[in-house]
Amino acid sequence: MFRYISKIIRYSALKSKNAIHDDTPDKNNNEPILSDLEKNLEKIKGVLRDSSDVTFHEFNFGHDRRFKGALIFINNLTDKNEIHKNILQPLMYDVLLLKKDVNMDFTKIDTVRKNLISITGTQKLTLMSDLLDHLLTGATILLVDGAKEALAIKSQKIEHRSIEEPGTEAVVRGPREGFNENVNVNIALIRRKIKDPDLCIEKFNIGERSKTDVYIVYIKNVANPKLIEEIRERLSRIKTDAILESGYIEQFIEDAPYSIFPTVSNSEKPDKVVAKILEGRAAILVDGTPFALVVPMLFIESFQSGEDYYSRPFLASIMRLIRFLSFIISALGPAIYVALTVFHQELIPTQLLISIAAGRERVPFPAILEASLMIFTFDILREAGVRLPKAVGQTVGIVGALVLGQASVEAGLISPIMVIVVSSTAIASFAVPAQTDSGTILRYLYLALAGLAGGFGVIMGLLATLLHLSSLRSFGIPYLWPIVPLNFSGLKDTFIRMPLWTMSKRPNAIVWDGSDSYRQGPGLMPSPYKKDSDGSK
Amino acid sequence: MTKKINILTSKLVICFLMLFILLGCSGGREINDLEIVIGMGVDKDENSENILLTAQVVKEGEMEKSSGSGGGEGDGKAFWNVFGTGKSVFEAVRQITHKTGNRLFVSHNHVVICGKDLALEGLQKYIDFFLRAHEMRPTTIILIAEDRALDVMNAKPETEKLPAMNITKLVKTYGFTSHFYKVNMKDFASCLMCGTRAPIAPLVGISQDKDNKDIYVSGMAVFNNDKMVGRLTEDETRGLLWVLGKVESGVLLISSPNKQGKVAFEILEAKSKVIPEVKDGKIVMHVKIKGKSSLSEQTTAEDLATIEAFEKMQKAQTEAIRQEIMAAFDKSKELNADIFGFGEMIRKKHINKWKSLKDKWDEIYPTIELNTDIEVKIQKTDLLKKPVSPGKEEK
Amino acid sequence: MSIEKGKICNLQLLFLITGFVQSSVLLIDFTVVITEHQTWMVILAGLAIAIPFILSYVALAKRFHGMNLIQINDAVFGRFLGKVISVYYIFFLMMTLSFNILDVGELYATFLMPDTPFIILLIFFTATCAYAVYKGLEVLARVSHLFVVVGVIVIVSTFLLLIDQMDFSNFLPLFELPFIRIFHGIHIMLSIPFGETIAFLMIMGYINKTEHMVKNTLIGLFIGTASLLIAAVRNTAVLGNTEAIWTSPSFQSTRLIDIGTVLTRMDFLIGIAQTILIFFKCSILFYALVVAVSQLFGLKSYLPLVLPLAGIEVIIAATVFQSPVDHAAITQDAGIIYSVPLMFVIPPLSLLIAKIRALPKAERGKGV
Repeated sequence: MFRYISKIIRYSALKSKNAIHDDTPDKNNNEPILSDLEKNLEKIKGVLRDSSDVTFHEFNFGHDRRFKGALIFINNLTDKNEIHKNILQPLMYDVLLLKKDVNMDFTKIDTVRKNLISITGTQKLTLMSDLLDHLLTGATILLVDGAKEALAIKSQKIEHRSIEEPGTEAVVRGPREGFNENVNVNIALIRRKIKDPDLCIEKFNIGERSKTDVYIVYIKNVANPKLIEEIRERLSRIKTDAILESGYIEQFIEDAPYSIFPTVSNSEKPDKVVAKILEGRAAILVDGTPFALVVPMLFIESFQSGEDYYSRPFLASIMRLIRFLSFIISALGPAIYVALTVFHQELIPTQLLISIAAGRERVPFPAILEASLMIFTFDILREAGVRLPKAVGQTVGIVGALVLGQASVEAGLISPIMVIVVSSTAIASFAVPAQTDSGTILRYLYLALAGLAGGFGVIMGLLATLLHLSSLRSFGIPYLWPIVPLNFSGLKDTFIRMPLWTMSKRPNAIVWDGSDSYRQGPGLMPSPYKKDSDGSK
Repeated sequence: MTKKINILTSKLVICFLMLFILLGCSGGREINDLEIVIGMGVDKDENSENILLTAQVVKEGEMEKSSGSGGGEGDGKAFWNVFGTGKSVFEAVRQITHKTGNRLFVSHNHVVICGKDLALEGLQKYIDFFLRAHEMRPTTIILIAEDRALDVMNAKPETEKLPAMNITKLVKTYGFTSHFYKVNMKDFASCLMCGTRAPIAPLVGISQDKDNKDIYVSGMAVFNNDKMVGRLTEDETRGLLWVLGKVESGVLLISSPNKQGKVAFEILEAKSKVIPEVKDGKIVMHVKIKGKSSLSEQTTAEDLATIEAFEKMQKAQTEAIRQEIMAAFDKSKELNADIFGFGEMIRKKHINKWKSLKDKWDEIYPTIELNTDIEVKIQKTDLLKKPVSPGKEEK
Repeated sequence: MSIEKGKICNLQLLFLITGFVQSSVLLIDFTVVITEHQTWMVILAGLAIAIPFILSYVALAKRFHGMNLIQINDAVFGRFLGKVISVYYIFFLMMTLSFNILDVGELYATFLMPDTPFIILLIFFTATCAYAVYKGLEVLARVSHLFVVVGVIVIVSTFLLLIDQMDFSNFLPLFELPFIRIFHGIHIMLSIPFGETIAFLMIMGYINKTEHMVKNTLIGLFIGTASLLIAAVRNTAVLGNTEAIWTSPSFQSTRLIDIGTVLTRMDFLIGIAQTILIFFKCSILFYALVVAVSQLFGLKSYLPLVLPLAGIEVIIAATVFQSPVDHAAITQDAGIIYSVPLMFVIPPLSLLIAKIRALPKAERGKGV
């Protein structure tokens, strides 16, 4: 308690100390915009004197060129075409076509805004700080001499990537568009899929220096209002310099920062995010990154992929079971190998035991060391593979396979069965992308336990992991729902995927009592066309 | 508060890490340090009162090389028979470590062969180790060697690399002829514990065939308590198995109805039920056997696929089976060994009468009568309806 | 004021009791020495005799909803005598917990991992139990159904795999053994699997609705006993008269599974299932112990006591007995005598006194 208070005191003291030594005019000033154009321009030029990409354009407009105005904008953020055609042109030329209202008073910004500017998205500003904020986000500022307000006109043109297939979540069947770095494009993609007036998009501005746009997207009568309230509260608590990626937000709002399992999911695909919003969750979109966060997260979500729902239930169920198995193999593979061959050799069939023993004849290391070396080497390979330039990629791949596989076995450094174990572990770890990091850590943990106490250690490790997972909550919802607080209707979509026409209710841990928990009507099972009784048609 | 928890956590983590360092990986044995034993043999040592233990250890490196074409160093044997002596089995086992340098790993031991001299002396002293050692499994097969166990362990087989695996395979496939029976340690111990039932075990001998030594199963040994008292031949063994209901398959040979040749039947399945009856001190065992067989071979040219021929052959089958059973029964009476487990059956069904009979079982056993009721149906004749007969053609 | 803030629901109570009773599967192996092939009878008789007593526990919990055992003792017997009886309970819980931890250690030391130092096994096991208790009752109750499912699958599958080696005539003759041995066996069965459910009096107080407690408890008991019964039947049918000589008939009968060449060496299944089930039982007992001690001393939360009690338990488990023979002899003969008053005398007495004195009074100071 006292440490917290002392931390706050120190933080504010540091801030005020920095503020005193700051010799530029205060950024956080709440000074109003003056009516004198020259003074305004001076002040702005003073704040932004080290930025050479700000353009100040002074001009005269109105009948008899009575009014003096200035346009301020940042070169690379704005669309020059828009400015010329829709701001300067009406102001400087088209106003001359006004015959009847020659005496319109353009010192009132409202008049200018409602009669002359032909761009939508304008906002009146009275404070200097707001003006600077808008200027830096790419708006064009119109200052009129004699007006106490300024006009911010939205004229952004930002270069961004076109909509492409997401690199990390490839599918066989399903839409191939992915989010990109511009949050407006992302919101448009979501809007395209949910055309419901209940869709709410709330804007937040987080980050002292980056002022990143963060949006919460949810459906009003479906998502639990307590959940949204909690998200709002956690987001407003964040006081940091910059939000560069959604991962920053994730690490500031998650439930269990010390746990190795993620409690906030992320995705690059709009259809996945939209499906989760429709189940009652909320999505958090951050400008500057294609990864959208979705809260709350359940453990089984890491095993579900969008494709499961677009294919028919049989293959989807098998694929799901295979994913579960892969996760188990990737976490437990080396541990079971070590436990069996070092502590419990009586459990291996005789023929297999003789083959393994024959393979390990020349290996100088004990099995645990061998296993940990191999896993470690594999992790190095994986990390290096991500950062390789494309040109070198192929060569290193071949070298990796040859060196780590064949040559090591022949040199007598590792045994052939170790290669098989590690490669199957490695391949299995990619089948469940959301849990790769937790899988990696678990692998080392179980290996250590297996080396110390064999099968007993692995069982105790598994029990501890199970207990930890069952005590995790993600925004109030038990992490292992529907397996651990056992819920039969939720189990329809866990290990197997029941057909779509059976899943008529939303997962009831996430929705609340007052909401509309039926997402589709009953009796939707398809059947062949029934002929009329007299055989016609 | 967080600082206190952090300190506590770090202390716990340090203690946990110390566990690793202090206790290490004790309890584990590296797989290439194991001496994998796949067969053990127990004999009486010639010179002293000790026993001689032979353990067949696998040489893993040799196993990988392909069999046949023995190019390569050494004698190409994939196994190594080590010997140890001692007054008890466990002592002999540990004695072997003087030669191997590693403790023996007996979890994969499939077979235990006892020498005949040991069997004649009494096995109860020696089987305790094989049941008690925690690495041993109760599925280990027990065998008696015709002469000495180490000769059997030394005979290198043709198709398998390891003699012990070869013997195990031999015994496990008893079902093809049902001329002997697989006995594992648990069954042997169970019979020994009974007091009235006589344990049996297969007898293994070596036949010298030109210069190949082949191992074959030559019959079953019969024990009285733990001493070997006699043997059962193949037919007698099958008679025993008929009564126990453990016949899986086999060949039944009878004379053909016209007495000119032989007909061979393959036994498809057989079930048995034994009902004990104790009346006024007289014990009668009713044995009901139901089976199915198929006609597999005939040496005559007679057409046997007729109903009358079937009836005659069924009667002949019944008689053949009855003879096997009576042969087994007579042998058991001669050796005074209750190999069928009749005593146990009486104990289970008529516990009150058993109490008075139990102590005099040795005298009562030869007086038991056997009443058989056998029914074997012939189900099929395989691929031929009529036999190939020379010179006869339909005109 | 209650120490535990969480609530459990009725279905979780069912699974808790099932898991608790099921974890005594290896305990049956102790009684086989005494009751040989009539173990199944002893189990059924034990269940029949224990049901009224367990129903009295449930009635007590229903009457004093929201209070755990220590509070009930205080309310029924008065301040001083109630605390004395609570100390008796705490002593019983401590000894039972250390015996169970010792059970797991012996299981591994004898069968599965004999070369590993004993103390490592004890420390790991107790550490995981302590972690479970640290997380709280709700987490334990939530995962209870997983443990029960594992136990049922293992017991039923080993039974099915051994069907071809079973010989049901091993159960005859039905009434061979003298009655005194059966009586001894029933006594052991009563005090160990069924009597130890007295620990549930610490947990039943936190149930959120009391309407269906009786039904759920009974169903839980039946399923647990069914598992015990299946295990006992399997052992007797497969092993016959050798059952009485093995240290653990369950293990030996699973070692006999040999189907194809693939399904051999399945005794590790029993090992894993037994470890998980005993872990579950020890967590429940540990939880009961920790809450009881902290309630007795009037603490606000039981968390600080978890580690010290865990340490004490490990030390007791490591030093109390010299060998498994000692363990078996003492628990069979002496252990059941000191626990009889606790399980079969005091709770019905408490219920009677509560009925006579018309407790709980409307204006009680503690409790819900």
